Formats: sequence, C-alpha cells, structure tokens
Amino acid sequence: MSSSAIDADGDAPDLVCQLDNVQGIVDALTSVRWKRHQDAVLEISEHGVVLIVEESSCLQAKVYLQKELFVRYEYSAEGRPRFGVSLGLFVDCLNTFSVPGNSTSIEIRYPGPDMQLLLKSVDSLDACIYAEVRTRIPDTISWDYNFEPAGSTPLSFTVKSAALKEVIDDLEWPGSSIKITLQPVPPSVTFRGEGHGDLQIDFMYYANTDLLISFSCDRQISYRYKYKFLRATTSNIPGSVIRDNRGSKLTIGGGGMLKVQHLVSVARPSTSHTHIDSAGYQQPSRIAYIEFFVKPEVDDNTVND
Amino acid sequence: MKFKAYITDHGVNLLEKRFLPALDKMGKTCHLYLTRDHTFFLHNLLNGDGIQSIAQFKKESLFEEYRISSQNDDKIAFSIDLSLLHRALRSILNIYVEFSGHGGGGGVGGVAAASNNRIQIKLVKKLPAHSQQAMPFLTFETKGYKSAVIQDVPISKPLSRADMAELQSVLDTAQEMPRTLVRLKDMNQIEQFVDRMKHVGEVINVSISKYGDLHLQISTSLITLGAEFRKLLVLGEQAAEVLNGGNLSAQTRTQMAIQRGDAMMVQVSVKHFFKSLQCHLAKPDCAFYGISSHGSCLTVIFQFFVPGTRQTDKSISLHCRLPVLDPGSN
Repeated sequence: MSSSAIDADGDAPDLVCQLDNVQGIVDALTSVRWKRHQDAVLEISEHGVVLIVEESSCLQAKVYLQKELFVRYEYSAEGRPRFGVSLGLFVDCLNTFSVPGNSTSIEIRYPGPDMQLLLKSVDSLDACIYAEVRTRIPDTISWDYNFEPAGSTPLSFTVKSAALKEVIDDLEWPGSSIKITLQPVPPSVTFRGEGHGDLQIDFMYYANTDLLISFSCDRQISYRYKYKFLRATTSNIPGSVIRDNRGSKLTIGGGGMLKVQHLVSVARPSTSHTHIDSAGYQQPSRIAYIEFFVKPEVDDNTVND
Repeated sequence: MKFKAYITDHGVNLLEKRFLPALDKMGKTCHLYLTRDHTFFLHNLLNGDGIQSIAQFKKESLFEEYRISSQNDDKIAFSIDLSLLHRALRSILNIYVEFSGHGGGGGVGGVAAASNNRIQIKLVKKLPAHSQQAMPFLTFETKGYKSAVIQDVPISKPLSRADMAELQSVLDTAQEMPRTLVRLKDMNQIEQFVDRMKHVGEVINVSISKYGDLHLQISTSLITLGAEFRKLLVLGEQAAEVLNGGNLSAQTRTQMAIQRGDAMMVQVSVKHFFKSLQCHLAKPDCAFYGISSHGSCLTVIFQFFVPGTRQTDKSISLHCRLPVLDPGSN
C-alpha cells in the first residue's frame, strides 16, 4: 500500500516501521513456535513490538522487538493496540521476504484498510514482494503471568544456551515432569526427570563456571515442571543463538513460576557474514529478547524453604 | 518400425545433466516422440489436466547417424519412464567414460570418438524372462575397457496411428504463442519466492501486463502474499504504462491494467507453478511468461543460449503450459 493511499483517509496508521534484517526477526519468532497452529497476540507501543503466545494457561512466551531493532519506527496510536495473528502464517510470510545472501528491507504497517498487517519489500523499485495478513481481535483472557521475585535475593542462574538445550533434550526419555532444584551449598542446579526411568543432571557452579555463568540463590528451592512445557523453551531456539552461545537466564519467581530468557541477535546483515566479532559482542540495540514463563506443576511433595 | 542412432557427447550432457533431471520432476512418465528431424519429450499432452511440458531437440543436438523409419510418415512415439531412462543412461555413461578415460585420460571429449567408442540407442523387441510375448524396449549399448553394457528400458507399445495424429495435433496447438510475453532474467528470485510462498495457499494468481509487469499472488482468507516484477522486457503486444502508476500498490496497478485491457490474469495451481520452476534444472538462460489469448493456459517458455553467446540456441526448446483453474471452482 502506498503512503499516499493511506494519507488520503486523513489518519496516519498506528505503526509504520522498517526492518533491515528479516532473518533475525524470523529467528526470534521461530523460537517461540513450538507447535504448528499457534495464535499470537501482537502489542505495539512507543517502545516496540511484543509478540505473545500462550498454551493451556501454563506456558507463555514473549518476544520483545524493541524499536531500536528497526531502521525506522513511527508509532502514532493512542493506548497500546493489540491484535491477533496466526504465528505460523506470520513467520512463513516474513520468511518469504528473507532471501539468503541478500539483505532485504521490509516495511511493516498496521492497520490496513481492513485492519490487516501490511508488509512490503522496499529494496528495489522493479521487484516487490508484499503481504497482507488478516488480524483478529485478541481474546480477552489475561495474558499477564505476573512474574514476581521469590524473595529479596533473586533465585536465578545463567547457563550457556547450547548446554541448556542439551540438558532439556536429554531429559526427554524419562519424560513426564522435571524437577529443578537450586541450592546455595554447594551452589548448584539440578535437573531431575522421573518417569520411565530417572535421569539427573547437575550443574555445579564452581566446577563448571564456563557452563554455569552466574548463580544466585540464598536457600534451597525446587519445583516440578511439565516436560513438554520445559522443552518448548529451547526446542526451537535458532541455530544462531546456539552458535553465539551467550547464555540463557533462568529465574524462579513467586509460586515457582519459571522464567527462561534468551537473547537473539538481530545484527545488521552487512556485518554478519564477513565479520563476526570474536567476543560475540553485539550492540545491545540489535538484540531481540525472548522470555518464556512456565507455571510449575501443583505438587504436594515440593520442597520449599 | 525402426530407430537407431548414436548419442553424441553433447546429447549425453544435455540429457543426463540437464533435461532428464528437469523432466523427471514434471512427471514420472512422458511420451518420447521421434520424427525425421526432431526428438520430443512430451508430458500430459494426451491425458488430462496436468502441467504440459514440451521439450524439443533437433536430432543433431542429441544424435548422429540418426535412422528412423515407420509406416506412419517415419514417426514413432511411445511412453517411457523417465527415472528408468535416466538410470540406464547413467549406467551406460559410467562404462563409456571408463573406456574413454583409459584411452588417454581426456574424459568424455574427443578421445572417445578417436577410440571409436560410442553410445548406441535403438528400438528393439525382446522376449523378457518368464514371458511368452516380445516386449518393446529402448536399448542403450556401449563398451568399456573390459566390459560392454546393454541397458534395456521398457517402453509402452508404440502409439497407434490415431493416437499419434492426436498427439501431433495437440502438439501443434501447444506451440501457439501468447500475444504478450514478458522476460524474466533472474529466475532464482522467482524460484525462491514461490518455494517459500507455496506453503501459504494452493492457488496462485498470475497477471501479465503489456508493459512488462509480472504479478504473482496467493490469497487465502487469512493472508495475501504477492510478488511483482516490473519493467520486464516485453515481446509481442505492448502498451505504454500509464503515468504515476508507480505510486500505486501492486494490486491496484494490476486491477487498473486489467480493466484497461492492458493485462490478463489467470489462476493456476501453486503445485503446477512450482513444477514449472523445476525446469530450471535444465539450466535455461531466461524464461518468458505469457497467457494464451483466451486465458486458457499460462505459458512459460525457457530460452537457451548457444554457450558463450547471447544468441538463442534454436536446436533446443522447452516450454510448459499450466492449465488454468476455473475461477468458479474455488
């Protein structure tokens, strides 16, 4: 849709933004795509775009695309408009714009004349790709998981992303539910799966500081989480995150709610191929933040305090 | 009914590396149609609603010492399984190259000719094992350093006079040119795009304008995804583009062009469209897209250059015709 056609209505759209790294955004969104058909809610604000997906009131994921990730970000709505899209369709659609080995710039606009999300490539005058994604009015259910700290000292640890994925993949065979235990003495994190068999994986903070990058815990705590929800937090994290292997942060909040955070680099395409910073340094503005919230299983045996 | 020839090295390359892989994607079996001057590989000409593909070679581009005779004006046609044909040719080639390599390590080139080793192709009738009835085969034969190899590819009975006449008449219709053709040079771009968009829907709208726009669009109740290639070279009927068209959206521009009669739009199956792109395996140098005059099919014509030049190689031609879906059927 051209700008003149929109302006004729007298209203500026809520959002007009432009991206120069579609693949990075596709990676970020793919990491929360744990099944084929998923409804997502997009919320736009002056700070950026947040995409939220949820399952069975037990698992929620958010992808934060801050406005710094965009080459251009013009927000002119009142309040924070929200709309629903099919995540799979949205990712497939974005993927169409991403041409390997080519930097592709796209413009995203919301809303279109029929409340669609409008996308178009802006690289070339003589070849143009465009898309119109139908949006829905999102469900009115509460999307907020109210993650609260569990106490004055945060209960958290940061582990190399590849190691975390490996641990969770390994826990597949015992299946069912996974108990995560944090204890201060000796400072360690334990993943234990009990199902068809038992499997326990320990991260000792002093023994593997290169795996367990940071650790914070003032008392022993343990909660059980359903394996399929835990798996969703790492099953689709993109290869680039594993290669960067920065670290994923896990925090246990009030009531045992588990928060898993990943960082996905949305680097400028021009630098990503020819030169990769050996220190893995990225400008903070070129990072998409991904958060998963997993509710614990209700379990009488949970050892608490 | 007799057919016997030797496949040239150029012919082997064309078939084994380029055309058979491409044609195999069009469909498992095709008609092989041999005339005094040409060889055709024809898909879906006699049966039905699939994508038609027509590959045509002058006999000199594939064969030498070409001999054909039949009571039907020296024409022979039969259907053949392309993957079997491809396998037989590869097997023959292994032995052939081995021999040629021994002759001086020069590969498939002149060495083979010097050593007088060639690949013979002929039609035979043979009695297969455990059978009382002779069956027709297309047979390849060559010799290696220590061995000789014969590959028999089973084929259908030759087409009857009546079927052949029908094949010829459909072929004549299929050679009809659209009034306007637009040229796409960067075929990778369209291939990547359709490869990604084929998950989205099953029907693709294709519109072609007389001023060189090719517009592809897949539209479902949830999403509309499109690509527009503009200012392409136009062959045939042309029109001047309306001023200020550049400010409009692709959809609006296309709609206006259709209303003015400067563009045509058809719907074809995404599956067929994707198949037609598999012709890129035959390594054409560019592609022309056009819609037949009554909008009955989408025609894609692939152009091949004489190697190292920008001149069309007229001894090879390949084009596809994609059946148009009835707009009411959706």
